[in-house]
Formats: sequence, structure tokens, C-alpha cells
Amino acid sequence: MRLLCINNDGAGFADYVDVTEGTTVRQFFEAHIVTPNPANYLIRVNRQPVAQDQILCDGDRISITPTKIEGATGADSMVRR
Amino acid sequence: MSKKKRTRKSSRRRHRRSERPTIRFTPYAWAKLLYLRDAGDTEIGGFAVTSPDDLLLVEDVCLVRQQCTAVTVEFDDASVADFYDEQVDAGRKPEQFGRIWLHTHPGASAEPSSTDEETFNRCFGSVEWAVMFILAKGGKSYARLRINVGPQSTQEMNVEVDYSQPFDASNAADWRREFKTNIRQFRWRKSTASPVEAACDGFDFDPVSNTHEQSLNRLDAGSDQSGDEDWYDYFSFNSEPLFLDWEEEKCNSLLSTIPG
Repeated sequence: MRLLCINNDGAGFADYVDVTEGTTVRQFFEAHIVTPNPANYLIRVNRQPVAQDQILCDGDRISITPTKIEGATGADSMVRR
Repeated sequence: MSKKKRTRKSSRRRHRRSERPTIRFTPYAWAKLLYLRDAGDTEIGGFAVTSPDDLLLVEDVCLVRQQCTAVTVEFDDASVADFYDEQVDAGRKPEQFGRIWLHTHPGASAEPSSTDEETFNRCFGSVEWAVMFILAKGGKSYARLRINVGPQSTQEMNVEVDYSQPFDASNAADWRREFKTNIRQFRWRKSTASPVEAACDGFDFDPVSNTHEQSLNRLDAGSDQSGDEDWYDYFSFNSEPLFLDWEEEKCNSLLSTIPG
């Protein structure tokens, strides 16, 4: 089956990929991410957050995007940490 | 230091600078970035959208929803995902919109903080390459290219506004709308040095300060506030604990009774 994958990791990707029937979100994530730590990513299927054991379906759109993007000035980070 | 040595050193510095890669902004993108930086009293952040033919030529600057204070900026994760979806729908590749992370600093320094470095490492450490760009209120800028493939390297960059590029006129109305839709400003109060006070004080986020309202009113006297219910819900569930003054005083007085 085919699904659209949006992923900035590695070379970056926004294209259709073929996956086998019964692939779960977690299996897909681990196969496509260089350093697969789920805590650092928001994984959505068809624009909705999903459970890791959800089985992907033909035509799904899966996006894997970074989380907790935050910046601070130097003084703040000294206080914060 | 002798004049000869000084000349040699500054010549080496010039030489090193000329070897650096350069991140270029179109005049439109640069104007928009300055406008967004100055539209409020807090830091703001976003992503650069670049030309498909030159990934270091910034053609636009896009905001995502974020909570900001005078010294911090934090993107909303779902909004980042929405941004990726929108950009892909617009026919762009991730390398055009997800690699250059921009944010501003309120003071004169554009040097990255430890928080900036941590984010750059965690969120952009596994992409082929990425750029952290910081623009300070005082006008200084900082850009660093990080290459994560092959012989990994990191290199500071030159920053230029490329007036040879064709560019559109200012679009202040849309920029203002984008700012108002995405930026939620909170007052930040620095923790005090005393551990006891810090336990009570910590971070105090005060949603949408008067100063922010004044800034927006200054920008646009008649335009509508963004009515995004989900966004407000997000804050009501996820914002840091807010201490009212009387709670803080009560907390202080209770803690002061603890010996030591």
C-alpha cells in the first residue's frame, strides 16, 4: 500500500512511500527516522495525533515533525536550567 | 600589540569571514522579519522559506503559533506540524521550509543561549543540514550552518540582504495578521536568587500583557482579534502555573516560618 510521508529528518522527504499491509505507526517511524526517539517528534496521521500501535492504511498521510522548538536569551537560560 | 601583528590578525579575520557560507534574505523577507521582530515586546520565532534553486536564499519568513515572553519563545508542536502540511501542499520540499530556524532576541546580543543550542541540537541534529538564525532587537544577527552528514561540521555564516533579487512591496496588513494569529505574549518575571523565593516565584506568565495590547493597537487600531478557540484552550491547559500576588505573599510568609 502507498502513503504520503512528510519528514524533515535526514535528507527530508515529502513523497509517497510503499509500505507493507499491517505496518504500525511505530514500525514506520523506526524505519524512517535516523534517531528514533518518539519524545522528540509529533507523529500525525491525516493531521491527527495517533497512538503508536495504530495500523496505517492505504492513502494515509503521515507527518513526523520536531517538538519543543524553543529559544531563549542567555540570561533566561541560566535561570531556567 | 604591534601594528604589524594587528594588521595580520585582522587580515586573517577578514579572510576567514570571506570563506564563510552566506545566508541571504530577499528585501521582502528581511523587511518582514524586522517588522515581526518589532511588532511586539517579546522574542518571536519562525521558519525561513527558501528558493528551490538556492536553499540559503530566504524568500519568506513564516510564523507558527507560539508563546513568547521577553526572553523566551516556544513553538506549538501542532502548529509546526500544520506548517509542514501547508508547505507540502504548496508544493515545497522540507529542505525549503524546515531547515532554517529563525528567532529574535530582545536585547543587543544575538549570541545563542544554551536553550537555543539545545533546541538546535535536538530538533535539527538529525537533518542533513540546518541553520540557526538569530536577529537581535539591537540589529546584530547570528547565523550558523550545521552539516550533519559526512564529516560533520558547523560554521558561522555571513548574513546579507540581497537587493539584486526581485522583491514585492511591503505587506504590513498580512504581516500584522500573521503576527496576531500566531503570537501569544506573556510577561516573564525572572526568578530570584534565593531558593526559598524561587520556590514560590519561578516563572510567572501573565497572559497578554497590556504592553502587548498597546503594541497591537499601535499596529492596527481596527482589526479583529484572532478568534481561535483551540489556541486559547491550549493555553488554559498548558500554560505555566500563574501565581496571583496574594498567593505569592502567602507562600512567602509560610515558607519564612520554616527554620533554616
